Order: sequence, then structure tokens, then C-alpha cells
Amino acid sequence: MKYAGFPRWSRLDNAAKIFPSNSSAKDSKVFRFFCELREPVDPQILQSALDETVRQFPFYCSVMKRGLFWNYLEDSSLRPTVSLENTPPCLSLYSPDRKGLLFRVFYFGRRINLEIYHVLTDGTGAAQFLCTLVHRYLLEKNPKDFSDSPPKLTYTASHSQLWDDSFQKYYEKPPLPKPALTRSAYRLRGERLPENRLSIVEGHMPVDALLTCSRARGVTVTEFLTAVLICAIHAQMRLRDKARPVVITVPVNLRNYFPSESARNFFTTINVGYDFSRRPDDLDAVTAHVHRCFRENLTEKRLHERINALCFLEHNIPLRLVPLLLKDWILRTAARLADRQATAAFSNVGKVTMPAEMERYIHLFGAFTSPDKMQASVCSFQNRYVVSFAGPFCSHDVERAFFRSLVQMGIDVEVAANLPYVE
Amino acid sequence: MRYCEKCGVHVIGSPPCCPLCQGPLTGEADGNGNVYPDIPFAGRPHQLLFRLLALGTVIAMVLCTAAFLCLPEHRVAALSGIAGLASGWLTVGIAFKKRGRPLKAVFWQVCVLSILVLAWDHGMGWRGWSLNYVLPVLYTCTMLAMAVIARLLHLRPSDYLLYLLLNILLGLIPLVLLLCGLLRTVYPAVICAAVSVIFLAVLILFEGPALKGELLRRLHL
Repeated sequence: MKYAGFPRWSRLDNAAKIFPSNSSAKDSKVFRFFCELREPVDPQILQSALDETVRQFPFYCSVMKRGLFWNYLEDSSLRPTVSLENTPPCLSLYSPDRKGLLFRVFYFGRRINLEIYHVLTDGTGAAQFLCTLVHRYLLEKNPKDFSDSPPKLTYTASHSQLWDDSFQKYYEKPPLPKPALTRSAYRLRGERLPENRLSIVEGHMPVDALLTCSRARGVTVTEFLTAVLICAIHAQMRLRDKARPVVITVPVNLRNYFPSESARNFFTTINVGYDFSRRPDDLDAVTAHVHRCFRENLTEKRLHERINALCFLEHNIPLRLVPLLLKDWILRTAARLADRQATAAFSNVGKVTMPAEMERYIHLFGAFTSPDKMQASVCSFQNRYVVSFAGPFCSHDVERAFFRSLVQMGIDVEVAANLPYVE
Repeated sequence: MRYCEKCGVHVIGSPPCCPLCQGPLTGEADGNGNVYPDIPFAGRPHQLLFRLLALGTVIAMVLCTAAFLCLPEHRVAALSGIAGLASGWLTVGIAFKKRGRPLKAVFWQVCVLSILVLAWDHGMGWRGWSLNYVLPVLYTCTMLAMAVIARLLHLRPSDYLLYLLLNILLGLIPLVLLLCGLLRTVYPAVICAAVSVIFLAVLILFEGPALKGELLRRLHL
């Protein structure tokens, strides 16, 4: 939407404010959402579908600019172009010295890859965009199959609802911030890949087998896989490292707790820690502890407190008056300190749904992000569950322990990697 | 699809070994099943020119330092050589880094050059040529250059207004110094101030609402 030559602009949402200060070549804060079709992608039809999709999501054509106190998004005349994937995953999308869009669309073989700078949106917002893109692509690719009654997506939000900053909607009152002193977590070590490359290892598995395993333990799939990840990290810890807890950061989609149609960031994180020096190291004990942590932290009251605490910083007048140059340094330092309290991250993007008539054209959906440490992102579509590990390390020890655990439980796992030759 | 007996996983695509354990795989590879392109670690060949230039600079600086130590009668020339190389790298580096946003690059160049000419004038015994001549001429030329670049590249107002406004404000500084009696030469400062005021009037009269919007965005709390 544009008014007589005046560019539309928007403040960054609460979660997005921290990303520009902490983006670097090592940790670009770019994440990828991908869809694998049953047939190779047609680039011309994909471009046409993308042109249509950005008309529905006009704010995706924004560029980020620096103000004196905060960064902000401003609409631009730039339009995205699809291209064959020929760069490493999740390369940086933002530079203050280059005017460019904050997302890009690649194709490779049967895959459509959407890469987005986290300032623009979170996993749920990206899923909405990718599903719309795939929906339009399939309509154009197979016009005869859908000529009678084209299937429709369920998103009905208006442009303003999609562009809504839901953090502000649910911010109530400034709480008294309680500085929480927590122990430093165990941190993964190892040789890093050259050129700040990311190593991606994907595991595809059936949803029903995972459900059987997690239900047998009385927990959700997310809780179960978080526990398996904690045990996989534990399996390669040195004895002297076991004094430190393994802490997994879990992003929480706040839309599941607070009604919102926003396609921008609306998430927070919880930390789930397990101290192997004080607790038993078997999977059942870890699963029970993770289940308890999730139950305690994932309540509307706790999450509301978290929203208020996050927004309190943003509404703090002295902090707002600090020039952006200094804010960058403060936010970078704060993020570095917070980083010490986590070993890895486990992000459940959730279940992706498409109109039933289109499901036969789609093989799977998946996602991963560009972390400075290790991050596992999971996503499901129909009966296919995709766990994608992304990290900067050459070694795949954690991934190996994770997938072997699942195989030992009788789950069929198919693996794919972007750098299979690295040892 | 290939299979790793050690890990018990099927492997998609055609990797030569298991991505998890690097062990051997059995079964047939699916050449069309690769889901990631093979992008080799190529290094950065375009950095060769940069490295050669940097090496040349280091050698030149070493020679200048040696001349400074060995030839007392040429110390000023040796120091000028070192300062000149540093100045050159600073200005070229900024121009290269900010090449994606031309007006931002021009404004940064103006700021860096202002500091450099003041430093050079000071280093060479302060004769005032920087304030009397170089800065007014520099600010006048960059205002005109910014207007031309904005027109040629069809930039949107939000891409140039801020930098042009800041340059206009810089252009008024020589007039302030003149009124304070700090300048000996009148014409360059007056011409620079006149061009600045005319540009400011054009901005306010023709781009007033856009300028207001740009300032609101850039200064929002």
C-alpha cells in the first residue's frame, strides 16, 4: 500500500529489534523454509507465482534503514527474482551499505527455497508466505486439474492484520524486571567450516512412528525430540564438561496462546536445561524433566510475563533515547551473554497444511536457520516429519547420535546433507 | 536410495559416504535426488587484487619509515608519504564499502575528506587553506554532485533527502566561521553558503512533506 508518493514505513517489531545488532557473516539471522515438490520446479511459473504472492504480502518488498535511534522498515520499488540455488545456504541478506530485499527465493531440482531475514518475520509468517507461493505455483502449473474450483488457502487476514505488531497488542504494563542469574550452559565445540559455511543435515521420518514413540512416554513430539537432542549432546560431552547443564532454547509461537493473524515476528523463547551431574542420564528421565519444564513454562500467564518483560525494555524511555550506534553495542553484549546460557536450539515450526487437492503434488516441507551454535528445526507435512540440523561445525557427532537413537527405536530415517564430503 | 548399515539410515541423493559417520553406503545412488547443489569451497579469488594492493602499501610504508629513520633531511616527505597512503586507503575503502548506496557513500566521503584536509593542514603548519578554500569548494561541489546523481539514478526522495540535507548543513559551517572572523577569504564561504541556502529552499518548497516524513522516520523513538 502506498499513498501518493509517500513510502510506507514501519517500526521493527519487538523481536526484530535485536536481530540487526547481532547479524554477522557468521550468524546471518537468515532462515530457510523449503517445499519439495514431486516434480522439478519450473522457474518461469515460479517467478509468476512469486509476483502474485508479493502482491498479497506487499510488506515483504521492504528494505531496512537505520534511524538515529532505531532501525525501521520502508517499502521499496524492488521486486524479487527467482534464481537457481548457487550459493551456500542462509547467506547474509542485510547490509547497511547495500539496498536490498530482506528475502530471496531459490529453486533447485524439486525444491522451492525461501530464505528470509528474521527481521521481517518468523517461521509461522514464512510458512504463510511459502504456502501461498506454492499454492499459486501449483495453480499455474496444473491449470487443468484445478479449473473447476481452484482450492483456497485458509489465510484470510487483511494487509493490516498481516503487518500487525502483536507484541504491542498484548503488552500490558511495565513489570519489575528481575535479573535472573543462571549458570553458563555447556557449549558445543569443534572445528568450524571455512567461509562461515553452514552444515545442514536433514532427517525425514514418518509422523505416525514418532507419535507412537512420544505417546508411549506420555509427552508431545517436541518434548520427546528435545529430550533425544539433549541425550545426543550428552553422548559426545567430555567428562569434565558434565558439570555444566545442557540447555536447549525452544522458540515458542505466541500465536498459539494469543490470537494473532500477524505475519511478522510473534514468538518468544524458553530455555530447557538438564544437568547431567545431578540427574540420571537415561532418555526416560530426561524426557520426564523436559515435559515438566514445558508444562511449567508454557502457560498463558508465564508467556504474558515474558511479553511484558521483552516490551518493557523497548518502552524504557532512557534506553529509547540511546543512539542506535550505542544500542547496537548494548544489544550485542546482551545477546552474547544470553548466548552463554544455551547449548543448542530446537525449533518446532509446526504442521504445514495445504488444500487437500494439492497434497499429491507436494512431498515435504522443512526449515532451518543459520545459528552461531547448533539448531534443529522441525516441520511436518502429512505423514512426513523433517528434522533439519544446521550448524557451523565440521563434525556431525550430535546429528549422528540423534538419528541413531531414533533408528534404534524403530523409526525409519532418511538423511540428506549439503556437505557430505566434509570430515 | 543408498543405505548406511552402521547408522541404519537411508541416504538421499548420491553422496560417496554416509553424511553422519562417513562410512560406506550400499545400494544404488539416486543421481537426481540431490536436494542441495554442490558448492565447492572456492576461496575468494577477487581478493587477490586487494591483497596485492595491501602488500604494495605495506612495502611503501616500510620504505617511508626506513627513509624517516635514515634520512633526517627528508623526514617531512617520508611522513607525508605514510599519511598519504593512509588517507588513500581510508577514502577508497569507504567508497568501496558503501558503493551500494551512492549518496551515502558521497556523504561519508565528504565527512572523511573534511577531517583529512583539516589534519593535513594542521600537520603542514596550519595555513588555513583547508577552511578557506577546500571545505567550501568541497561542500558546494558535493551538493551539486548529489543533485545530479539523484536525478541520473532516478532515486526516490527517501534515498537522498537525508544526505542532501546533512550536506546543506555542512555547507553553512564556512559562513558561520566567516561571521566569527575565523576565515580570511570571503568568496568561497559565501558561494558555498548561498548554494546551501538555495538548495535548502528547493528542498523545503518542493520536497517539504517528503523531507518531514524522512526526518520523522529517521528520528522515531
